[in-house]
Amino acid sequence: MSSLIKLIAGELNRLVKYKILPVSLVTAIIWIVIFLFLSENEAREITPLLIFVDVAAMSILLLGASHHLEKQEGTIRTMMVMPISMGQILTAKTIASMILAIESAVVTSVALFFIHGITFNYIVLLLFVAIAGAAHAAIGFVLSLRSRDFTSMLGLLMGYMFLFTIPSILFSFGIIDAKYEWLLMVSPSHSASHLITSAVTGNFEIGMVIAGCLYLTFLSAVLFKFEVYPRFKDNAVRG
Amino acid sequence: MGVAFSVRDLHFRYPSSREDTIKGISFDVLEGEIFGLLGPSGAGKSTTQKILTKLLEDYKGDIEYFGKNLKSMDSSFYEEIGVGFEVPVHFSKLTALENMRFFSRFYRKTANIQELMERVGLWEYRDVKVAEFSKGMKVRLNFVRALLNNPRVLFLDEVTNGLDPKNARIIKDMIAEYRAKGGTVFLTTHLMNDVEQLCDRVAFCVSGKLIEISTPRDLKLKYGKREVKVEYRENGTIASAVFPLDGIGFNEEFHSLLKTGKVETIHSGETSLEEIFIIVTGVEMK
Ligand SMILES: Nc1ncnc2c1ncn2[C@@H]1O[C@H](COP(=O)(O)OP(=O)(O)OP(=O)(O)O)[C@@H](O)[C@H]1O
Ligand SMILES: [Mg+2]
Repeated sequence: MSSLIKLIAGELNRLVKYKILPVSLVTAIIWIVIFLFLSENEAREITPLLIFVDVAAMSILLLGASHHLEKQEGTIRTMMVMPISMGQILTAKTIASMILAIESAVVTSVALFFIHGITFNYIVLLLFVAIAGAAHAAIGFVLSLRSRDFTSMLGLLMGYMFLFTIPSILFSFGIIDAKYEWLLMVSPSHSASHLITSAVTGNFEIGMVIAGCLYLTFLSAVLFKFEVYPRFKDNAVRG
Repeated sequence: MGVAFSVRDLHFRYPSSREDTIKGISFDVLEGEIFGLLGPSGAGKSTTQKILTKLLEDYKGDIEYFGKNLKSMDSSFYEEIGVGFEVPVHFSKLTALENMRFFSRFYRKTANIQELMERVGLWEYRDVKVAEFSKGMKVRLNFVRALLNNPRVLFLDEVTNGLDPKNARIIKDMIAEYRAKGGTVFLTTHLMNDVEQLCDRVAFCVSGKLIEISTPRDLKLKYGKREVKVEYRENGTIASAVFPLDGIGFNEEFHSLLKTGKVETIHSGETSLEEIFIIVTGVEMK
């Protein structure tokens, strides 16, 4: 257990040293500036989208960037010859990625409160961001492990977003009819989007929310077990 | 003396490769020795090291680590071994000291980081980010990294590659001291110097096979030409003569040359390991 804590501390330290946390804070500040120019209602409407973009797209991007950087630096290889398990390494990286997603959700929420006095159920939001964050960390790993370098990872991410994220955004703009939403839930992006929207607006469709939570948890487990875990070591050693 | 690693009929194929990279090799690494794996680029030296350090697992054959099946070892195996990689393995945006402290934190017993870094001349650069290090500095930091846990067995892949003679000397001295304190070393290299100055035993590795395992001294006795070359002055010019070392005490011609000629130099002709490698394997090192 204490190795895991040291690993997480190391990940968080590197989020700062490699300027990933500062960059993510800057994007959050851009959101804050946007809030300043919006009315309360507009802000309320756009908030789920902002949090969703951070959780579902930024987190994949940042995880991919750090994965390929570490691979280049050879540091994953040297971690593999330490008395720690691969499960611990992956857990630490996933938690770091979740913390990043939570950090931007927190900054956004605080800004909304101070600018527009908007509040919502923070515990539920935190829970949903964590669940969606873990699933998208898994997706980030899958795309990273299946790509040669960061550029080709970006290509894969584009493909992924085209398939899964864009339809969800179209839906939130009302371009896709609401009666097809259950179909859209297959997209991890949309499940995440649905959960985050529910938490922010306070409108819970219980069936959909439970389905979304279960689906994202199940998806994380399957991806980690069958895609990430078996490939990770080989990928690091090959260099 | 025990056996640190015992390797029997080891085969390995990379998933993406059509033929075996390691084609059935067997050897023992004895406890307390420096065992060298010498061979040209692409021979399979790094691959062998990765197998022994459990980084590559789908091998065929038997490997025992101090009598236990390597496959049955859990991650505590890594408490006992130190691994020096061929390429740098550091967080470039962290300083040298931050890197060493981070890695060191995960081991139960740890070496004195300051002592190690002072020894390799990096202590004064401890607060410099590794990104700003030269190639040689990174190589030296890799070496410190490998020693962080006071390992029982030390793996070194091309440890002196890219070092100037002075720093190479320091690293070699440290390896020799580590051995003198009872450590076991598995070292891969394509540099003859490393082998001649360090290794107790050496294995010649070519295209995934081991050709010969022996001590450098025995190799020289077995394959080296044993002769004496005398250079002497005759009629104002330098002439030379070569005599077989065997029976030299009874060689009249050699003796009369020593008595009458103006001897300038005498060398016992040692065949270099490099030449022996070519004789034994039929393959040039480079
Ligand atoms: N991940 C990999 N996938 C497929 N083939 C590989 C992989 N890594 C190495 N090889 C091949 O295996 C062979 C042995 O490589 P290895 O790195 O073990 O050689 P080496 O003896 O250490 O050489 P060098 O002196 O250049 O370091 C080479 O032909 C190489 O191309
Ligand atoms: Mg090599």
